[in-house]
Amino acid sequence: MTTLTFPLSRIEGHARVEIEVHEGEVISTRFQAMEKRGFNLMVQGAPAEQMPVIVPRICGVCSTAHHVASVKALEDAYGVQPPPLANQIRELLLLGQLIQNQATSLFVFTMPDRLGVESIFHITDEEADQTSQFNIAKRALMVRQLGTDLISLAGGQFIHPVKAVVGGVSSSIDQEKADAFRQRLKAALPLACELVDYYWEISLRMKDRIGTWGDDQPAYYISSTERDNPRYNSSIIRVMTPAGECCREFTANAFRKELTFEETDYSYAGRTSYQGGVIRANSLARANMTRSMGIRRADAYMRRLRREFGHPAHPILLFDLCRGIELVYAIELASQLLEVDFSHQEIDLHYTPRDGEGWGLVEAPRGPLIHHYVIEKGNIAFGEFIIPTVHNMLAIERALRVAAERYIHDDQVDLELEQAVGRVVRAFDPCIACATH
Amino acid sequence: MTLKKPPRFAVLQLSGCAGCEVSLLNANEWIDQFDLAFMPLVTSAYDVPEVEVLLISGGVRSDEDLHNLRQAVKRTKKIVAVGTCAISGGVANLGNRDEVRRLFLSQTERHDLPRLLPKSQPVDTFVDVDLYLPGCPPTPELFMGALLGPEDFVASKTVCQECGRKKLKDMKPAHLTGSRGGEVDPDICLINQGYLCVGSSTRGGCRALCTRPGHPCVGCRGPSDILIEKDSQVWLESIQRIFAAMTDIPAEEIHEALLSPQLSLFLFQFSDYAGTGQAPRPKEKVL
Repeated sequence: MTTLTFPLSRIEGHARVEIEVHEGEVISTRFQAMEKRGFNLMVQGAPAEQMPVIVPRICGVCSTAHHVASVKALEDAYGVQPPPLANQIRELLLLGQLIQNQATSLFVFTMPDRLGVESIFHITDEEADQTSQFNIAKRALMVRQLGTDLISLAGGQFIHPVKAVVGGVSSSIDQEKADAFRQRLKAALPLACELVDYYWEISLRMKDRIGTWGDDQPAYYISSTERDNPRYNSSIIRVMTPAGECCREFTANAFRKELTFEETDYSYAGRTSYQGGVIRANSLARANMTRSMGIRRADAYMRRLRREFGHPAHPILLFDLCRGIELVYAIELASQLLEVDFSHQEIDLHYTPRDGEGWGLVEAPRGPLIHHYVIEKGNIAFGEFIIPTVHNMLAIERALRVAAERYIHDDQVDLELEQAVGRVVRAFDPCIACATH
Repeated sequence: MTLKKPPRFAVLQLSGCAGCEVSLLNANEWIDQFDLAFMPLVTSAYDVPEVEVLLISGGVRSDEDLHNLRQAVKRTKKIVAVGTCAISGGVANLGNRDEVRRLFLSQTERHDLPRLLPKSQPVDTFVDVDLYLPGCPPTPELFMGALLGPEDFVASKTVCQECGRKKLKDMKPAHLTGSRGGEVDPDICLINQGYLCVGSSTRGGCRALCTRPGHPCVGCRGPSDILIEKDSQVWLESIQRIFAAMTDIPAEEIHEALLSPQLSLFLFQFSDYAGTGQAPRPKEKVL
């Protein structure tokens, strides 16, 4: 038996893929998370109210999602409902996170696969496109920076934000800054659309070259965004069958009953399944599970997706295209949400901390994220983090098997396999720092 | 005409959260001025090539981290430790507590994966560092400062001096507010409002980006130059003196809060290095 090992770059964190082959037959495909810090144990004994400062450090890419999930878990334990404007500001935080993440995944992580370059910083103008005449790296980073700047505006700082607090947010958004940022988002929207169009086009070219959009079978889908007009400051988790029926709805505190979690001996990350079946979370799950985006530009892309691929759609590389739709969506929606009056409204409530148990849910860019805390004497007695990447682990390994079988033959291994492994993994945009925490 | 070749730099990510890399990505002015030769988060490279500057983020948590660190430092002229994890442990110190560590190591035995070391260690436990860039994470501006020339970077001594909130003589809280104070007054010093803010002794350069929107400084940049070469007891006492002068909060309450686990995230770990017995870092080497 031969083991092929593929180290991975252009993903968040340290991971590799191992494929075991015997006489041309693929025996196993393993996705290995290679690092571990142990946050579930590190938080033990920490004062519960400090969790919103501690847990963003699980991941610098996803810190906003952890920050908000943590505050919501404490509010659940304390029985606090934040005022509407605070919820709106938290939604803006999560939209900033979405812009940053989807732009990073699209342009920094996966665009090089489509252009055959080492990184986005190594794209020469010739390679980019003779006709498009723009410096892709700079424009892509400019769009990405809309996300980080929005997080700073709503969260104080863009990595490990600080403004969400139990009962609300510690300060509102300055009205003038909100107006100025709205103008910036509006001005940048055409640029983002242009980049997404370009991404769609080079994805089509790549598909023509490799002959597939990633031909894995259908799976269960999981998301916590609602049926209409996705919102990321979410409250209910939904599951959709491979055929496209919504089969289950549950709140965060029921996740143990609804999902099966297991550890493996070859990875520092575990994996989840739904009734024995493979689940997929992330952009394609949300796209399949929403009726419409509810905003003009994003809906135009959504219609194109459904026209070209049907509904629900299953090919792996559509995860990437759906990230493009969400990028446009988040820019449009953030610009709408910034229109409200940010002054003269309650943003934070007084509360009394108490011991107990709480669950906090948000839709992170990679799927539903849950924080679960047990609080005793004001300190964390037990903490766990249910990470969206972990829901995708079985799906990643199954998709890797499909790719391996495509490129491993009785007598030889097609060199395209290495590229295919990278494409498959990046389509799921796994976050290893989160998955292992 | 001969163009000067831009200096090549690499970013080695050990065990951490990638927040430092994300911050560096936002400092996008380097695109025109530097050649990024290696940063697995964004490039397809697997080995550190020869470079002028090597930025190292994250702590040394596994045998693989240690191997990668030792290999990489051979290929660079200058080593910059970036972020709190690489410099003094940061959040990883929460996991270095004995009771947590034993449980953690007993649960994480795996086959065919990097072996976890007994503790997460800062980079300079193993290699000499030329420049320290503390912060969780350092801001994009600080990253540019480290790359372009730390000697030209202009900053106040402390976060407090960069914050600009008004200190009031007659507003003395009797107890710590915790995090349940409701809306934070936008203009008044957070200590006057009863928050456990340690910006008065924390190194400046971040432009007070937490305290301005209303979150107390947790000390992620480490101690200011005045305290950096002294042991952590001196740092602790300096914070206590500030609270004694500005508030009526009982000394025991401040003491207990300062030593609670969450503040071991950042506080008191830089100067005497969380008990490893290493010499303090010379302030000239810290941006």
